[in-house]
Amino acid sequence: MATRLQFENSCEVGVFSKLTNAYCLVAIGGSENFYSIFEDELAGAIPVVKTSIGGTRIIGRLCAGNKNGLLLPHTTTDQELQHLRNSLPDQVVVQRIDERLSALGNCISCNDHVALTHPDLDKETEEMIADVLGVEVFRQTVAGNILVGSYCAFSNRGGLVHPHTSIEDLDELSTLLQVPLVAGTVNRGSEVIAAGMTVNDWTAFCGSDTTATELSVIESVFKLREAQPTDIVQDMRKSLIDSYL
Amino acid sequence: MRLEKCWFCSSTIYPGHGIQFVRNDAKIFRFCRSKCHKNFKMKRNPRKVKWTKAYRRLHGKDMTQDSTFEFERKRNRPERYDRNLAETTLKAIKKITKVRVEREAKHHALRMKGKKAKDHKEAVKELEQSIHLVKAPAVFQQDPTLTLPKMQVKVSQKQSEENNAMEE
Repeated sequence: MATRLQFENSCEVGVFSKLTNAYCLVAIGGSENFYSIFEDELAGAIPVVKTSIGGTRIIGRLCAGNKNGLLLPHTTTDQELQHLRNSLPDQVVVQRIDERLSALGNCISCNDHVALTHPDLDKETEEMIADVLGVEVFRQTVAGNILVGSYCAFSNRGGLVHPHTSIEDLDELSTLLQVPLVAGTVNRGSEVIAAGMTVNDWTAFCGSDTTATELSVIESVFKLREAQPTDIVQDMRKSLIDSYL
Repeated sequence: MRLEKCWFCSSTIYPGHGIQFVRNDAKIFRFCRSKCHKNFKMKRNPRKVKWTKAYRRLHGKDMTQDSTFEFERKRNRPERYDRNLAETTLKAIKKITKVRVEREAKHHALRMKGKKAKDHKEAVKELEQSIHLVKAPAVFQQDPTLTLPKMQVKVSQKQSEENNAMEE
């Protein structure tokens, strides 16, 4: 289910929050309303953690993660690192990396199996991503933009990319990532997809400026209609059990 | 809050002190005071500047390799908070600093080992060779056999008899 919300009158929800299948990070300093909308949707299933990174609130753009791990920039303080380690479940590996491009959320876009990265990322960082997040790493650009983390958002079930992505690029990315992709916009025509929304396998949160059309596109490509955490298990059961005819 | 090391002199930078310089390649240089910052701006190499830790380590004046240094690493993968672990870590920190100070003192003592003997030898040689700069040559020419040795004679002081002849 896609929900529309705002952080302090800004529709860029993907900047102030990070949503994965195992946890959700939310920026501090906003109204409790912002926090409680996340809790309403996610409460029982996954922990919702309030945090800052390097004293800033733009946590969605600074960190990159999936259900296996969380990567943080070198600007993260020791106290924040410890707070995240204490609040997140033990299966999630929390790692701080030394990287020149410190806005990892803008450079890395990932789901639980595949990651797209900025083409200029260090070799050690790429190995760290493969190790901590347990993903296959591809250095790619999206519609000619090197900041792949901002211009595309994908989960295990689908993905949304920059509206000016050509069809060949779309096909290429789709085969790399093994998920269906659609070129679209969010927040009334904003091209910066990942800054405007945040998504996991069963929910999505978009800025309140998102039109109904955009919302329906999002719900269809990420397969969010009537999807609850239990539904995913049901779907998997259907595909796992062979039907006898 | 984190206590960083000065890039130039390697001393600790406490909160509220110093300057951080971020270069265009995103490398951060932290300085503890303007002395270090100004030396950096002059493009001086800390390995050639005598009072820095980098120089002292490079030229063997201070201890370089020791197991106590390995405890003070920057760790990027934290562990879940455990009170017992925190307590033992705090105790260990104290012990490690104590051990490190002892080892540095030993290193210093080893470095200064032959100094006393060497100084003494040099002093004796200097006495032989350069004593003419201090004592007058005439003193050496006085033949000691010709002069009588100095003797101390004790003189008892007699009380003089009072002569009251004038008082009458």
